[in-house]
Amino acid sequence: MANGTVQPRLHPIADLNPPASSRAWLSAPHPNLPIVATCASDKTIRIYSLSNFTQVSSISGGHKRSVRSCAWKPNLKGESSLATASFDSSVGIWRRDDTAHDAKETDFTTGGQGDNAEEEEDEEWRFALVLDGHDSEVKGVSWSAGGNFLATCSRDKSVWIWEEVGDDDFETIAVLQEHTADVKCVAWHPEEEMLASGSYDNDIRLWKEDADDWTCIGVLSDHSNTVWSLAWEGLESYKHIDSFTSPDHTAWLQRRQQSGPRLASCSDDLHIKIWRRNPREKQKQNPLSIIRSGSIEEEWVIEAELPQRHDRTIYAISWSASTGMIVSAGSDGQIIVYREKWQEDTLMTNNDTDGGPSTSVDEDASKDIAGTTWHVVGEITGAHGPFEINHVAWAKRADRGKTSDQEEVIISTGDDGSVKVWSFSAISESP
Amino acid sequence: MESIQNANPTIRAASDLPTRRRKASFSTAASDPLGIFTQAIPSPSYNFDPFSSSSTSPISSDSDSEEGTEPIDTQEIYDLISTISDPEHPLSLGSLAVVNLPDIYIRPLGAQDLQVVTVEITPTITHCSLATLIGLGIRVRLERCLPPRFRVDVRVKEGTHSTAEQVTKQLGDKERVAAAMENQQLMGVLKKMLETCQ
Repeated sequence: MANGTVQPRLHPIADLNPPASSRAWLSAPHPNLPIVATCASDKTIRIYSLSNFTQVSSISGGHKRSVRSCAWKPNLKGESSLATASFDSSVGIWRRDDTAHDAKETDFTTGGQGDNAEEEEDEEWRFALVLDGHDSEVKGVSWSAGGNFLATCSRDKSVWIWEEVGDDDFETIAVLQEHTADVKCVAWHPEEEMLASGSYDNDIRLWKEDADDWTCIGVLSDHSNTVWSLAWEGLESYKHIDSFTSPDHTAWLQRRQQSGPRLASCSDDLHIKIWRRNPREKQKQNPLSIIRSGSIEEEWVIEAELPQRHDRTIYAISWSASTGMIVSAGSDGQIIVYREKWQEDTLMTNNDTDGGPSTSVDEDASKDIAGTTWHVVGEITGAHGPFEINHVAWAKRADRGKTSDQEEVIISTGDDGSVKVWSFSAISESP
Repeated sequence: MESIQNANPTIRAASDLPTRRRKASFSTAASDPLGIFTQAIPSPSYNFDPFSSSSTSPISSDSDSEEGTEPIDTQEIYDLISTISDPEHPLSLGSLAVVNLPDIYIRPLGAQDLQVVTVEITPTITHCSLATLIGLGIRVRLERCLPPRFRVDVRVKEGTHSTAEQVTKQLGDKERVAAAMENQQLMGVLKKMLETCQ
């Protein structure tokens, strides 16, 4: 609605310094420290401070080719653990004792000295182990919410699930081979032990453990080209949606709670789709429920598509767990921010459009759940000059300019090797 | 390359290939297209020289403005890629009519002064397994020579290849292309194909 009057609310705050010497693929913000890990085609992982925007350490010499992706293990105290996925077919696990570095990372005043610090710090990362198993380039890596499981995916069409069984010891617990082409990305559900994977075969697959075996519990097929990135909604981020206190809205909130966090996917087909689980209780009312109760298959449906703004492949999306906003970026050099808004009158319109001969139960579901629309609330073109953007992520703001502990920044990573930090000013819209 | 896939390809005479015929003012640029672009590549994307970022940044800023005044046309794109050698014949892609001037398109993208170069290739035979390699050679050549504001799409011309769609999808996949460029063996083959480009 208000699309025509979008204010440019994205402002550059800083470039992380120094940049990578070649294409940078991805930047992963640490789950609780104000640092970010950037992996690049120069085989190096650079760790930057989000307080003063300079490099605090780097990891090199481990991988023989591009480091494509990395992920911080969640739920660690006093120690950090980083998993790195490389085109050299291997996955590295790196550790560091955080206690020695806390002062540096929280102190705003120790910026700028650069080279010395870098040399000193190179020793701090301990190479813990390498996970071998994939036959070709490893493209994605993700830790489960509790940190028990690590998932990796590769051009070899497989998804591997590893369990950390002891100090520096990982066991392969599943090799999932149902995708028919490169698996581009993996992402764990924010709470459940459920994994989503996106592929060059255009499909998204959901995986869960069923009686000791990891199996595919759902295939989400709607993209018409490679699925490049997946992002889960935060556990309760939908509660941030502006609302009226109407009965419709209350019903919507209940429905939202039943279906749990949604999944967003972006693709080479220029679309970003939001997927929602059809709540299970429906099947209990079904006379066939006794038979079905054994099945862990889930039904996921498309709930929404975000406004289409990108002109070229969308490489990355990130869904803020704290604000519920989604950010996307890609080959066209644009960064777009979307927000979900409650809208009373969408209930009817949505029902009209998909008024097929579905069962009344299903129709009720879609009626109850629609009720929001997605709007572009921020956009910037040429964010990395003429270069493509490979990754975007929300992170907690940690520099001097932050206005609150909740404030978030957007971190974008580009083909130029640079990592840029953007503020998003959430000017409240006039009603 | 144990067995040659197309032992008897149709070859075009050099005089039949499209050139920018006698435009004196352009001749230097056309005969040495790389010359003007090498300076205009601020892209550190594939540059592993640790000193490159410091040495190219001042150059890139003023060459950017030069680019703006001198648009690149399809003939220049053709000149950059038609001299690439076929992987199985000692002939150029231009003389084999794998690349053809009318199958090169340039269009603007978005508001940001970006441009998309689309090259449609015509493999010499419909099941040529070398189509991917040829396409990769073209993409690599253009990405190296063109300024970073260009996006390069290489596709197999519809109806000319049995697996055109698959090959096109692979050539469009940035990650696969990046991984291929880190494969020394493959880059050795590409280097040979690109040796004939001046």
